[in-house]
Amino acid sequence: MSDLLQSLNPGTPPDARSYVERAEIDASLRAPVLLFFGTGVAWLLLGSLLGVLAAFKMSFPHLLDSADWLTFGRVRPAHLNIMVYGWASAVGIGVGIWLMARLCRVAPRHRGLLIGAGIAWNLGVLAGTIGILAGQSRSIEWLEFPGWATPILFVAYALIGVWGVIMFRFRRPGHVYVSQWYLLAAFLWFPWLYATANTLLIWQPVQGSVVGAVNWWYGHNVLGLWFTPIGLASAYYMIPKVLGRPIHSYYLSILGFWSLALFYSWNGMHHLIGGPFPAWMISASVVASVMMFIPVITVAINHHATMRGHFHYLKWSPTLRFTVVGAMTYTIVSLQGSLMAIPSLNNLTHFTDYTIGHAHLGLYGFFTMTMFGAMYYIVPRLVGWEWPSAAMIRWHFWLAASGVALMVGSLTLGGFLQGLELNDPQVAFLTSLKTVAPFRFVRACSGILLSAAHLVFAVLFIRMLLRQGGPRAEATLLSPPEIPAV
Amino acid sequence: MEAGVILLLLGLGLLSGSALLAFFWAVNDGQLENLEQAPEVIFDASEPMGEPGDCFPDARSREARARASSNDSPR
Amino acid sequence: MNKLPLLFVGILLVFSTSWIGLVAYPYLKLGRLAPEASRDGLVPPPLTASAIGGERVYAANGCIYCHSQQVRPAWLSTDIEKGWGPRQTVARDYIRESPPFLGTMRTGPDLTNIDVRRPDRVWHYQHLYEPGTVTPGSIMPSFRFLFKVQPIKDRPSFEAVAVHGPHAPPRGYEVVPTQDARDLVAYLLSLKHNYPLPEAGDPPAADAGK
Repeated sequence: MSDLLQSLNPGTPPDARSYVERAEIDASLRAPVLLFFGTGVAWLLLGSLLGVLAAFKMSFPHLLDSADWLTFGRVRPAHLNIMVYGWASAVGIGVGIWLMARLCRVAPRHRGLLIGAGIAWNLGVLAGTIGILAGQSRSIEWLEFPGWATPILFVAYALIGVWGVIMFRFRRPGHVYVSQWYLLAAFLWFPWLYATANTLLIWQPVQGSVVGAVNWWYGHNVLGLWFTPIGLASAYYMIPKVLGRPIHSYYLSILGFWSLALFYSWNGMHHLIGGPFPAWMISASVVASVMMFIPVITVAINHHATMRGHFHYLKWSPTLRFTVVGAMTYTIVSLQGSLMAIPSLNNLTHFTDYTIGHAHLGLYGFFTMTMFGAMYYIVPRLVGWEWPSAAMIRWHFWLAASGVALMVGSLTLGGFLQGLELNDPQVAFLTSLKTVAPFRFVRACSGILLSAAHLVFAVLFIRMLLRQGGPRAEATLLSPPEIPAV
Repeated sequence: MEAGVILLLLGLGLLSGSALLAFFWAVNDGQLENLEQAPEVIFDASEPMGEPGDCFPDARSREARARASSNDSPR
Repeated sequence: MNKLPLLFVGILLVFSTSWIGLVAYPYLKLGRLAPEASRDGLVPPPLTASAIGGERVYAANGCIYCHSQQVRPAWLSTDIEKGWGPRQTVARDYIRESPPFLGTMRTGPDLTNIDVRRPDRVWHYQHLYEPGTVTPGSIMPSFRFLFKVQPIKDRPSFEAVAVHGPHAPPRGYEVVPTQDARDLVAYLLSLKHNYPLPEAGDPPAADAGK
């Protein structure tokens, strides 16, 4: 092992201590992180299936319409909630706990907490999904899981939050890296968001239109204060780590963190422009949405400056390729979101497929791609094995990238035309449906591309767990038998 | 209804309290000083700066990576 | 750089205000509205028991994913010109709904005033059973699982739904709504927000919204 390191980088003396440290952390996180990743991938496949079904139902309304549990209005929220809680949150937790432990540089304690949380989390998602399909949803977007399923998720989540705080408390002293700031904030923000939303919307419902305000305060913050910090934490670690270059400006990264916390939390009401709320609430959200330019541009400049001169690395690092595409999409989707909040433009895009395209660009183009990138880095270190096939990784990347591009492209263009017609009093309502129909069909087909990408990734992941293909022989990785005795 | 308001205020107090605490801790601990060296904490002796850390698992990528790491001197 | 701490304190304080502004404020300000007395009784009128049941059916089957229930003001949008309602909807319009279905999509028409546009119960039954029979070109899915197709006994049941064309029931059978369908239609027929409210501005004319 040390010979290999010497040959790769002759100037570096092999330092067994940092090796062993990392190997210990990886070994003790193997079970919980793989639990979150594995179940996440399973939910990803099921969620893709439901998404494709819901998309084709738009083109063929009679498709599987005889059973109540397969009606569009149940399949669509089931798809959304599985993707948000079963896939994105689970894989985000997996990446988050791994990064947290690695950056705290101590072997994690209380592994049982994480495993228990992982099992409970999946039970909660399963119960919630069954609840939606059985007709228990109350149609509060992003919170469709019935009230008897959400406490399971909350308890699971609380365990993870407690673990995160304990981990941070017992970290090795020294500088707290920006990714840790993001992760710690996400670990603390999410339970607060989820508890507030569930208390006020599900358990002790508030009156009338207040539901709308709390709903979108939650719906937008779960993106901005849960998925975004995890995605950025991962990008802020993976990009410099893979390049072997520190982040361009650390000052900008800290500024980006705090300005995100400030502006994002005020954004939610831009989903309700023109709705039954005092004008100042909407205006505040519009202003905050436009102010999102600050954190977004800081992140974009920072990542771009770190990458500058090293874009050829994208050719040969799967982690970097997925992460950089995700980070660039973050810039695009955030700027798009800021523009969509401006009332005159919102008037055009509100109530159309354009918004659906925006949501997929954010949750898929940014978050899911970033998480794939992180998984390509983390999983080999957990199982001590190399990804079995470079060709399959390339297939995964191109299917996912072209699928999401086609999906967002068709929804954006279709939604734009739909919006023009919805706003024109001279045009009959049904005309807008006819206009958007071919775009919806293309979107449904793009779902097949994405599902194929997920299938390729699932096969890769399973082959990895079964240790097919060659052993991993990289300097950056220890296979467990080679850990020197301490 | 009133219980809800109390709950809200309690949550708000907890949130802003912990955020303020976190912030003052960060200042006192010197977390906001020396921001030039800070981003280097993710590297260590066995995963040093200047050495790329990931590649596709095939020979072509591996060779490209080895070339790149010999071209990029650390810093 | 030494102003940094001050900057961050400011940021944090503003951050926690989002909770006051977007959660606590509407909770206190909009969460205790009462119906308004008018010459036709209280507006919005309370929901009947059947309509409350229908609200649950509406939620369970995700109508909200295609139908909004909000009319935006005239200065912002063409909603009123487009005929979704005579005036913008305001917080008081939603006090009887739990939860309100404001919605974020218009794959189908806005339903704020569906009772004004479609007051006919039978039309709704036919539409729910097979949307294409009454609205050719509709992409709404069929909700036939809310109906029973049963053999006609001595004479057709009084609430049998007339369905013609390729989706008609076999000879000797009839389509009757289940309780869920009755409730859902009762809820849809309660959606009528064309009464005046002081905070909603003046509606242009009493007969607008048709």
